[in-house]
Amino acid sequence: MSPTVGPVSRDFNPYSDNGGTILAIAGEDFAVVAGDTRQSEGYNIQTRYAPKVFRLTDKAVLAVNGFAADGNMFVKKVKQRLEWYRHAHGKDMQLRAIARMIQTMLYAKRFFPYYVYNILGGIEEDGSGAVYSFDPVGSYEREACRAAGAAQSLVQPFLDNQIYFKNQTPAIDAPFPRHLPLSHVLSIVTDSFTSATERHIEVGDGLEIYIILAKGKTLSGLGLDGVKGLSEVTSTVDDSDGSASEGESLAEGERIFVLRRELKKD
Amino acid sequence: MTSIGTGYDLSASTYSPDGRIFQIEYAAKAVENSGTAIGLRVKDGVVFAVEKLVHSKLLVPSSNRRIQTIDRHIGLATSGLLADGRHIGNRAREEAENYRETYRTPTPVQALADRIGLYVQAYTLYSSVRPFGISAIFGGIDKEGPQLYVVEPSGIFYGYHGAAVGKGRQLAKTELEKLDLPSLTVQEAVFEAARIIHLVHDDSKDKEFELELSWVGKETGGLHLPVPHELWVEADKRGREALDEDMVD
Amino acid sequence: MDHFPTNWGRPRNEAVDLYNTYPLHLRPDNGTYGRPKDSFEEGVQRTRQPIVTGTSVLAIKFKDGVIVAADNLASYGSLARFKDIQRLHAVGTHTVIGAGGDMSDFQHIQHDLDSLIISEFSEGDGHALGPAEIYEYLSQVMYARRSKMNPLWNSILVGGWKDGKSFLGYVDLIGTTYSASTLATGYGAYIAQPLLRKAVEGRENELTEEEAVKIVEESLKVLFYRDARSLNKYQIAIVNEKGVSISDSRIAPTEWSFAEGIRGYGAQTQ
Repeated sequence: MSPTVGPVSRDFNPYSDNGGTILAIAGEDFAVVAGDTRQSEGYNIQTRYAPKVFRLTDKAVLAVNGFAADGNMFVKKVKQRLEWYRHAHGKDMQLRAIARMIQTMLYAKRFFPYYVYNILGGIEEDGSGAVYSFDPVGSYEREACRAAGAAQSLVQPFLDNQIYFKNQTPAIDAPFPRHLPLSHVLSIVTDSFTSATERHIEVGDGLEIYIILAKGKTLSGLGLDGVKGLSEVTSTVDDSDGSASEGESLAEGERIFVLRRELKKD
Repeated sequence: MTSIGTGYDLSASTYSPDGRIFQIEYAAKAVENSGTAIGLRVKDGVVFAVEKLVHSKLLVPSSNRRIQTIDRHIGLATSGLLADGRHIGNRAREEAENYRETYRTPTPVQALADRIGLYVQAYTLYSSVRPFGISAIFGGIDKEGPQLYVVEPSGIFYGYHGAAVGKGRQLAKTELEKLDLPSLTVQEAVFEAARIIHLVHDDSKDKEFELELSWVGKETGGLHLPVPHELWVEADKRGREALDEDMVD
Repeated sequence: MDHFPTNWGRPRNEAVDLYNTYPLHLRPDNGTYGRPKDSFEEGVQRTRQPIVTGTSVLAIKFKDGVIVAADNLASYGSLARFKDIQRLHAVGTHTVIGAGGDMSDFQHIQHDLDSLIISEFSEGDGHALGPAEIYEYLSQVMYARRSKMNPLWNSILVGGWKDGKSFLGYVDLIGTTYSASTLATGYGAYIAQPLLRKAVEGRENELTEEEAVKIVEESLKVLFYRDARSLNKYQIAIVNEKGVSISDSRIAPTEWSFAEGIRGYGAQTQ
């Protein structure tokens, strides 16, 4: 046997990359968190439906992207901590507190990290829409918008341009708006994902958009009447039906809706 | 109770001058005060029956069961302190799992009785513990066929064709001796077991009781399971009728 | 023929020795270089590679059940070492699992799940673990082991049917999980999965058991022709309202005469 060719040493690699992309955008009195539903490994599509966006409370939604096994475990542990908080204090944890808790939980595994990029979206105590983004070991900041995952490099520049108006010059007497309306934001989200689907092989199959509304806000008030494929998932709403019939909701606080769209499957 | 006041009955680690350990005998007394439990080892399986005395009408029916499942193929019926019975059951499940993990084969009933015997005996050695107030009937089908063993508070255990422990054991044993156990089927044994429990129940002393029936046999695919409801109803009915016929005689 | 797997055939790719054709003593990184992190490190052994391995497992949903299939081969490197190994295992009355990867790890998993089922049975509370519960348990075990850097080296499919609903899930050595109406592990993910998706997607509630069996058997046959570590002897498990049934081993008839005309297979000298 030739001594020059030998097996390459292969230490066990506990990580994988399962593709997909997530993003979140904060509005004045709402937040939107979205992710595609494809899960892949290399060139293989493992499944066309594996959710990456999760409702945590009635005012917080978490999107996780990266190594799916870590992501699922992390979401499971966050939900567990939030349940303990509810049992201890009889109320849901505030968004900014969830954000800090997530940073603590991520940093606790600083030397064997959850290989996961987190984006947290929801409503703050003051009623404003908020987005928090994290790196795998817990660095975080509050932002107006963030994309992460396989197509981050495609989507983030688009958001910078459309949300922050980067590289645009305002017309005279028409300054850029500080906040965009919900219907406009939803268009940006769907466009981001259809485009990412076109250009990135790991993005596609399905799209789930979570919409979190501040207290007292309604879909019709935000110009979203009769949108198809929209269902309410607020905890106080009986989700047996799920169809988001606008009007008198049982929910007194923040409300959460899901909007599902198909993406190309090739 | 000549032992009382002698000072030799205060600890399980003290013998009396004539070589007895009174704490073990007291534990046996705890068993004698408990509802009857019987086990029948027959041609094609094992049947358990328990006279579960119901001390309050407020209790939920079929709660505080005294027949437990130890492994797929092994059942356990206890007489004595209920809590001790549960503890022995938990220990038996651990031992059965350990045997399985070690030998990768279903636990033989004798091996289980042996291990539980050792465990129970250990509680007769020390002044810091009390012996178990339990007589435990282990039964099931293993490689050797149907098996039945009783572990007593002393830790000693014997194999039986038919076993009875608790209040009505004397009468139950007499009844069991009348049966040709090795030629009965489990189907027949269920009715005999129900009849015996009804027979030994003393209406004048204990008002209410619940009949618990379980079996291991071909019918159950070698599993230890409660007797199906319809069969239980029939066995219970026939048990009562047999009792009434006795009264007429 | 000799006792050295090295001489039985090389892996398809020298860089990735997926089937461990190198005997243990010839593998370099056996703690020979690099300093151990603590004095006892060398005393701790972990699975670094699978030894005796099974190849693909396939599974699909159909109208009133699920079907899981795997061949009967356990390979030692490129040696077809055991040709009558069962890679399907019933867990309780509603679930079946099928595994590729290290067979000793799989047997360990079987014992673990059997113990779980027995301890649940002995509760005697009338509840039985369904496929979803068993899948969650198994996933947590797999993820916990990968997190200890001591994985169970398998890709496992979990199939089941309970309360009128079908279940199909995948879990592997790093704890990755997912569900779909068609699943395939190992080479099956490359070769069989496209065939299964074409035949099943959108027709999950129409396919009959007979059709489902045909689809899976056809895919197994394609795998046998293309995967050198596979066997045309296999078993099929069906889970439906009636419970789990694992078939006896079946042998797929194969046709190799076409190979005569192919350069490298036949008797041509040039």
